[in-house]
Amino acid sequence: MNDRESILNRVREATTRTAAHPGKHPAPDLAGGFERFGSCLRSVGGEAHGPVAAWAIGEEATRVAGLRAQGGRILATDGASQRLGPGPWVVAPPDIPPAAFEDVAVAIVEGSVGVAENAAIAVEGKHLPHRALPFLCRYLILLLPTAAIYPDLHSAQAALPDDAYAYHHLTWISGPSKTADIEQTLVYGAHGPLTLDVIVYGEQSGR
Amino acid sequence: MTNPIELGARSGLGDLHRVERHDAAVFDLRMRRDAAAREVPDWEALREHAAAVKAHTLDHLDTYLEEFEARASQAGAVVHWASDAAALQRIVGDLMEERGVHRVVKSKSMLTEECELNTALEARNIQVVDTDLGERIVQLRHESPSHIIVPAIHCSREEIGELFHRHMGTPRGETDPERLTRAARRNLRSHFLAAQAAITGVNLAVAESGSIVVVTNEGNADLGMSLPRLHVACVGIEKLIPRMEDLPVFLRLLARSATGQPISAYTSVVTGPRPGAELHIVLVDNGRAALLGQERHRSALACIRCGACLNTCPVYRRAGGHAYPGPIPGPIGAVLAPAMRPDGASLPHASSLCGSCTAVCPIRIDLHDQLLAWRHDTNRPRSAASLAARMAAWLMARPRWFRFAGRLARGFWPLASRRFPGNPAGGWLRTRELPPHPGPSFSARWHRERGAD
Repeated sequence: MNDRESILNRVREATTRTAAHPGKHPAPDLAGGFERFGSCLRSVGGEAHGPVAAWAIGEEATRVAGLRAQGGRILATDGASQRLGPGPWVVAPPDIPPAAFEDVAVAIVEGSVGVAENAAIAVEGKHLPHRALPFLCRYLILLLPTAAIYPDLHSAQAALPDDAYAYHHLTWISGPSKTADIEQTLVYGAHGPLTLDVIVYGEQSGR
Repeated sequence: MTNPIELGARSGLGDLHRVERHDAAVFDLRMRRDAAAREVPDWEALREHAAAVKAHTLDHLDTYLEEFEARASQAGAVVHWASDAAALQRIVGDLMEERGVHRVVKSKSMLTEECELNTALEARNIQVVDTDLGERIVQLRHESPSHIIVPAIHCSREEIGELFHRHMGTPRGETDPERLTRAARRNLRSHFLAAQAAITGVNLAVAESGSIVVVTNEGNADLGMSLPRLHVACVGIEKLIPRMEDLPVFLRLLARSATGQPISAYTSVVTGPRPGAELHIVLVDNGRAALLGQERHRSALACIRCGACLNTCPVYRRAGGHAYPGPIPGPIGAVLAPAMRPDGASLPHASSLCGSCTAVCPIRIDLHDQLLAWRHDTNRPRSAASLAARMAAWLMARPRWFRFAGRLARGFWPLASRRFPGNPAGGWLRTRELPPHPGPSFSARWHRERGAD
């Protein structure tokens, strides 16, 4: 008998199939909105900017990128650059090896939904063909529509499009890379970006 | 028989200063957890919900394992099954060897610690670099992690500074955590860029989509998953949850319980390999199915490895992780050890049963009841302790003999509490001290004071 069959047989013998699934956890009663999201993002070491009008987003991104990096390469994903318009960034070419991002100063990537209770922003694989980009760059900027900020993780995840998991990865990013492994002293930029800036744009929806 | 935790206490944290620093650092995490939990209005409902989801999943685990396998395969991953540690070592070693892989980066995984994967791969000439900063520190020190979330919590910045001076070329005497972290970042970046494969653990696996969920604060798992062409994910079979809809329940509990963060910096939901790359998922049993069959003890399989029970445990806080024999210390380690390890039977006895672990567990595992249940299950009737208990019972039923034995013990007390070769109490005294001489017996005092009335 191979390992698969023997594991499944042992498990089958051990289970009784009686405990019921509790169903869907009801969304908690939490405040949402840009203010909550921004203060939570500050508490995890990131910074929220805006909300700015959709037409002003390129200007804001230029300003924020200038705060972080004097000179150095600024790369934007294809989708992000379409939102930003012309600026100091270049579009990441589609067919380059991941290690080529090693010297990127600033990366600008689109987020889909944000969560006010934990400042997490979902970055979908569909919007990020270069999986390594937001982890190899020194400073990361995410773009997030104001209307896509949800109070809690349950409702934010439910708002993701149907194909959110169809592109290998979906990453929730909350603040910059961090560690406290040396005597519990918090240090940003353990392996990934040293900072995280989120530019929030567009109108608040009626929610 | 020597208790493993007693053995550990001798080699563990050592001097009192270290014990106090460890205690404070660990309890700080506990207090952060408390503050984070207070911010969540539905905290108790979440815990209850998570416990119910886990109980349901474990009770239908075979169906969910098959569903996971089917969906993950559809998404392009290759699913392997490993009955035990040796099978995991063989599967991962073969995958590496077939592809000529000699340089591997690994992110934190308690399962691979449990299965001693690093040692097995190194024996096959495959270099494994642990990339979580704390794990890298203990790897360079040739130690095991002493905490499941903060592996190097037992090390001082001076020790880490000296270690990095030797291995990463930082200036001698450099102890600033930020500069040491930068040095490690540079050093490990080169390992990431040169790696031919990545090994990661898995925090949760979603049956309905065949996705694995990997959580880190450093981003090291994501670098591993995005740079080399081969990713091997090692999953304990108990890590499954049925639906994507269940995922937020666990994510909202996990980081808050671990460090007081509202969520970890990076939570990656990975479904199939990235284009042009390979994803292999190894489902590992290694004693879990057997534990599932013990109805009284199976709830321990619901653990999400947040470390909250360690941070609150009065024994762990003062003994440190190296006092425990297995890879997982603290209350959850003591509950898993009797089922998973031949040397684990005595661990449930090293507890005050204060119940603090149960109070903080995000999945509401009845940890202190489990410890008590294991004591019943592992009590050996012929052990020295039970022989002593039967002698005491005999003595207590005979007042005259009892008084005589008391006088005898009182006379020998000063001698017995001294450490000298041949002292029959020597084993006990190695890690403890006898309390001061108790003075006259209770009945002597009773007679004296009643007599004075």
